[in-house]
Parts: sequence; C-alpha cells; structure tokens
Amino acid sequence: MNTQECFDEEEALGVIWNSVEKKQSDLASIVERLRTGVSATVFDDLIAKKLIMVDGNTVVMMPAGAAVGRDVTRRHRLTERLLADVLQVKGPDIDVTACKIEHIISTGIADSICTLLGHPRACPHGSPIPSGECCKRLQSSTEPIVTSLDTLPVGATAIVAYLVTGSHPHIHKLLSLGVVPGTPVRLHQKSPSFVVNVNETQIALDSDIARQIYVRTC
Amino acid sequence: MEKTIALVGNPNVGKSVVFSRLTGTYAVVSNYPGTTVDISRGTAVFGGRKFQVIDTPGTNSLEPVSEDEQVTRDILKSEHPDVIVQVADAKNMYRTLLLTFELQALGLPLILELNMFDELLQRGMKIDRDELEKLLGIPVVESTAISGEGIAELKRHIRALTDSGAAREALVPPPVTSEEKHTKAREITLRVLRASSRKETTRLEKLGAAMMHPVGGYVFVAVVLFILYEFVGVFAAGTVVDFLEHTVFGAWVTPVVSSAIDHLTTSVLVKDFLIGKYGIISMAISYAFAIVLPIVTAFFLFFSILEDTGYLPRLSVMLDRLFRIFGLNGKAVLPMVLGLGCGTMAALSTRILETRKERIITVILLSLTIPCSAQIGVILGLLSGVSWKIAVVWIASISLSIVMVGSLANKLVPGEQSPFIFEIPPVRVPSVVNILRKVGMRLRWYLKEAVPLFVLGTVLLFIVDKLAVLTVIERMARPIVVSVLGLPPVTTAAFLIGFLRRDYGAAGLYVLAKQGLLDPTQVLVSVVAITLFVPCIAQCFMVVKEQGWKLAMLIFAGVTLYAVTFAGIVNVIARSIQW
Repeated sequence: MNTQECFDEEEALGVIWNSVEKKQSDLASIVERLRTGVSATVFDDLIAKKLIMVDGNTVVMMPAGAAVGRDVTRRHRLTERLLADVLQVKGPDIDVTACKIEHIISTGIADSICTLLGHPRACPHGSPIPSGECCKRLQSSTEPIVTSLDTLPVGATAIVAYLVTGSHPHIHKLLSLGVVPGTPVRLHQKSPSFVVNVNETQIALDSDIARQIYVRTC
Repeated sequence: MEKTIALVGNPNVGKSVVFSRLTGTYAVVSNYPGTTVDISRGTAVFGGRKFQVIDTPGTNSLEPVSEDEQVTRDILKSEHPDVIVQVADAKNMYRTLLLTFELQALGLPLILELNMFDELLQRGMKIDRDELEKLLGIPVVESTAISGEGIAELKRHIRALTDSGAAREALVPPPVTSEEKHTKAREITLRVLRASSRKETTRLEKLGAAMMHPVGGYVFVAVVLFILYEFVGVFAAGTVVDFLEHTVFGAWVTPVVSSAIDHLTTSVLVKDFLIGKYGIISMAISYAFAIVLPIVTAFFLFFSILEDTGYLPRLSVMLDRLFRIFGLNGKAVLPMVLGLGCGTMAALSTRILETRKERIITVILLSLTIPCSAQIGVILGLLSGVSWKIAVVWIASISLSIVMVGSLANKLVPGEQSPFIFEIPPVRVPSVVNILRKVGMRLRWYLKEAVPLFVLGTVLLFIVDKLAVLTVIERMARPIVVSVLGLPPVTTAAFLIGFLRRDYGAAGLYVLAKQGLLDPTQVLVSVVAITLFVPCIAQCFMVVKEQGWKLAMLIFAGVTLYAVTFAGIVNVIARSIQW
C-alpha cells in the first residue's frame, strides 16, 4: 500500500469518526462526504478491510477502525490547538494545515504536543479532543506550560491563552469583560467562588468557567 | 425640534449619575452592575436648548446576553438618538473601547465620556486624551460625574454635535471583526493609557477582599445580619415604633383627633369610619405612619448603604454555590436581597438574570418566601414581643421553604442554568447625598403606593364589617383559618388585607398579638402563613407584567397551596410537641 492510500484511509476513518460523534452516521451522507472529500474507492476499501460495516442505513465503525478514527481526530484537533495557540495561526488556515500535519505525526508526538499544551479538552472550534495515554497519566505530575485557571495557586498571575467554553454568549461575555487571550489575569481567590483581577476589573466566576479558561504561566 | 441624547455604557460606570447631572431628575444610583434595568427618560435644558435624555441599562456589548442589555440595543435601534454619549469607566480603557467600536458602527454622532476620572488618578494612571481623540476620531471628555466635574464640557460637546446636524462620516473607520476589535483596543490602550506600577493595596481594597474571604466573608454576613436585626428589628421596630405608637399617636394624636371628632359629629358611623376598629385614622394612618414607616425608613437606609459600598456583589460571591442548588447562580442574590427591601422592585430586577428558567425560579422564591422590609420589620417587632424561639423557628421555616421549593423548582422548571460570570465593582465610600436622595425617593414611592392601599384596605374592611359580610367571610374561611391553621377567626381580616399589602396584614397580626388574642403557637403559625402567602397586589401586577398571566396565576395558586399546607404542618407539629 502506498503512502497516499494510507493517508486516505486515515482521513476517511477520521471523517467517519467525526460523523458518528455528531450522530450523523447515515450511509448516504457519509459515502457522499468520502467521495468528494477523500476518494471514490476508499469506502469499499474500508469495508473490505473490516474497519467499518454497513448496518441497514447507517455506517458502524468496527473497533479497529474506530481506534484509528479516534486517534487521527485527536492528532487533528491537537494540531489545530498548537497552530492556533502557540503559532498564532488564524482563520481557515488552521483546519487546512492541520489536515496535512495530522497524518505525519505519530501518536507519541501527539502526546508531546498534548502535554505541552496542558492537555487541552477542545479544539479551537469547540469540538472535544479525545484523550490520550498522556492525559490518563494525569497532567499534574509534570508542570504543564498551559493550564486551566482553576489549577493556579491563589495570588498567581498568568496570561490568558485561550477560552474553551463551548457556548458563544459566555465566551463573548468573558471577552467583553476583558478576559482576552494575551491579557494577564491574577487569581484573587478560589473559594467560595473564583475571583480574578483583569486589568482594573474584578470578576467572579464559578469553577466550571474557571476550568474553561486556559492560561500560560510565566 | 427637541434632540435626543442616549447614555450608553458598560455596567456600573455611572450613567445614572450623568443622567441626574444632565436632567436634574434623580435616577437610582448604586454600586453594583444592573441597578438600571429599564430606560429612564428626562429633559435637560442647556445652552438655550431642550434635550430629551435617555438613560439605558449597562451593557458590555450590543450583542446582548441578558434582558436588560437587550433593552439598550432595542432603544438605540428604535429611537435613533441624535447623540450617543458613551459613559465609560476611565480605568477600564480596553473594555470601553470594545463597546466604542460597536457604537461607532451605528454611524450616529458619538461622544466618549471617561467617567470616574478621580479613581483613575487615585490609582496613579494617566490618559493621553488628545491622542485618544485622534485615534478614535470622536470627542473625548474626562469627568467625575458624582462631583459634577466635566459635565459642562460634556454639554458643550453635545451642543456642538447637535448643531452640526447630521451624522458625520466616521473620521476613523471602526474595526469590524471581533479579532480586529481586540487588536485595535489593545493597541489604543497601550498608546494612551499610562498605568503606574502600583503595588500597595488600599484600605478599601482590603475591606473588599475581606467581604468575600472564604471564612471571613461568612463572619461578615453574620455581622451584617446582626446589625440589620439590631437596627431594623430592635431599634426601629421596637424603640421608634413604641414611641410613635404610644407617645405620638396614643398620647397626642388619637386623643386630640377623637375629641375633635366628638365635637364635629355625633354620628356613630362617621366616628367608626374614622377612629373605630377599622377606622381610617385608627387603623390605616396609624399602621402606615406609626408602625410601617419607621421600619421601612430604617431598612431603606441600611440597604442603601449596603448597595453603595459594593457589598451585594461580594455577597453573591459567597452564596453562588448555595444558589446552584436552586438552579440559579450568585447573580440571583441581587434580586433576592432586593426583595428583602421591596418585592415589587425585585420582581422587576429579575431582568438582570440571563435565562428564563432563572427568572421564573427567582420570581417563585420572591413570591413565596422573601418577606419585604416592611413585613420583616413588623414581624420582628411582633416576635421580639413574644419569644426569640418563635423568631428562630420562623427563620428556619422560611429557610427550609427556600431550599425545598428552590430545589424542586430547579427540577420542574425547564430551561438552562447560566454560569456565574459577574463583575465586582470596587468598594466605595457611600456618598451621604446619594444615600439620602435614594432613601427619600424610595420613601416617597412607599408613601405614594402603600398609604392609598392601606386606606383602601381599611375602607373595604370597614364596609365588609358594617354589612356583616366579614362574619360571612370568616365563616367561609373557617375550615382553613381555624381547622387547618388553628387560628382564631379574627385573623381572617389580617390575611384579607394582606392581599393588598403584606406588611399591612402583618401589622394586623401585630395588633392582635399585642391585644393578647394569639397564643405563642398561633403567633408562629400566623406569621409563617402571612410570610409565605401571595405577595402584595403591586408585586402581583409586576409578576403578571414580567411573566404573563398564565404563569403568574400558576405561581400564585402554587404559593397559596404551599403556604396553607406548610403553615398547617407547622401548626400540627407545634401543637403536638407542646413547646
């Protein structure tokens, strides 16, 4: 099997894994997406290799296929995070570039990126990042470079790296209060609620929101 | 033609102070975000012209998150003001600019007013105003509205902009995308704001931190409650009420008035109407002025000080976790505490909450459990005369009801709970003038609203009593009042007028207890029942207005059922343990 076929297969399993995650696993739409996005023959190849199967009108992933799909999705979304947060890549470039890089990094490198970023939970577009071995080994054993606000010690100052809250209004609210990537925040207290100082504004947050604010310790 | 000025800005930057300065009309000013939930309008006259001024609820963005923010966006869309004055907290340049860009995009003449400039200087910061004007292409005014500084200059700019006629093309096109806005805001802030590297914290900042300290904060809550009890319950409801009731009314007013009436008329009916059991002077006026007025004055005073120091947002930091059980977040502390002042104002202020679920649950808790200041005062006065044990059981019953009904409502009311993201204003020393104006305004409002209802209630009771209908109603209510609640039939009248004003109903119970007509258990049961009972008529109308008829009726039916059941259970338990 040549490299291109290998890429296509990974890409296709990633697409299917995504569709299943979004509960859009009907046969027709998946076949269409693979035909236009990957290649015309890849779907039949996957069935032949027993990586996926068709059950009535839906596509079901076999364990081996699901593992590959999950892994490639993890690599894709971690890469997106890396591009967006560390390399400050903006807009559609993130997705396009990540689509290429995801195939050439190993699972081990993905874990290194994951540790560097402090085991992020979501990609810049808000989709969850499947956890890897490194996440299971628990992040607190090594000091991550990027960490969520709730793990900071009281009194510490850090720079906002990114916000992962899935809800647009809440991100918007935080941004309008001045919790913007690049801004220093000082953690004033953690209990009974989180209180942070951002510029001249003091903001109270609940622990859920605090967990969704990622900061770079300096 | 009269030109329109709209005041717009982030929450808690002093828009209402600027409004008062421009128009001479007082709009409620407090030190927490969300004091203004609806627009206020006033007229300003300067430079030989008349302007209409609109004060809007604070908003961080024209993309609204909560209902009060929506109000601001709608007003800008529908009214097309001739000038927008963006009132800003001078210390918070970055956040100010994010809103400035959105306002610039509207294409209306805009003035940026950097308010609270004194606080900026105190913190050792400086702003290059000329540079800021150049970068934004709009006039910038520095002001400290609370002392009136900068208002004259603001007026000059307003005149200049309205004279020049139609909206000028923006000299500097505002950024469009969110990323551009943040980048530009950062750039401008860096160029115009000189921050000092201030290290030491001020005494007020330390006080602010103590108010929400994980341990110290709860001690603070206890101290505040204790002062409240001493000031409102013991001093106002005890000492002052006694003096007014016995000395002023008992020794001077009532004898003078009754002898005057004796001279004027011989009609028993007229005498009864004025000074009888349900007389306008003996009941309505003396309840309103001798019992309720001193209590609400004390409460409004105490509460205004709490508001203006910035304590309430810190209290919401302390209570956020508790409120999560009820499907709310710490923000709901504001309407709930406001409800301790006046449930009607509180029902309106539920607008600051973000989701409908939160608004409904808060309205339910306000309608059912939160007694208003007048009612608390009267009840505290009543209980302090009987036994502290009853006060404890009363508070426990209300707290239990809040927890039970709150957590049940959290399960039953569909919808979402919003996260707690809440701006905490700095602790400030309250301005005596503002406190007095605010208390004065609230008292005027109380007298205008409550006293006519007291008189109306008394007239109704008088008629109902004279026509012997009261006995019929008492007989009809007997199964509930007497059998379920174990109360004497005379209390029916108190519950009836409780529909008009809950404090009035409580005052009725107060008088009955003073006359020795209620035993301790009956005092407890009646006080629990009247606290939980449907809110006063004004609050009912506000709930209907804010939530619609259907939902309001559902809430009131549930509240009545719960009140009777709960008070009935209290009665059974209290009787069986013979405390």
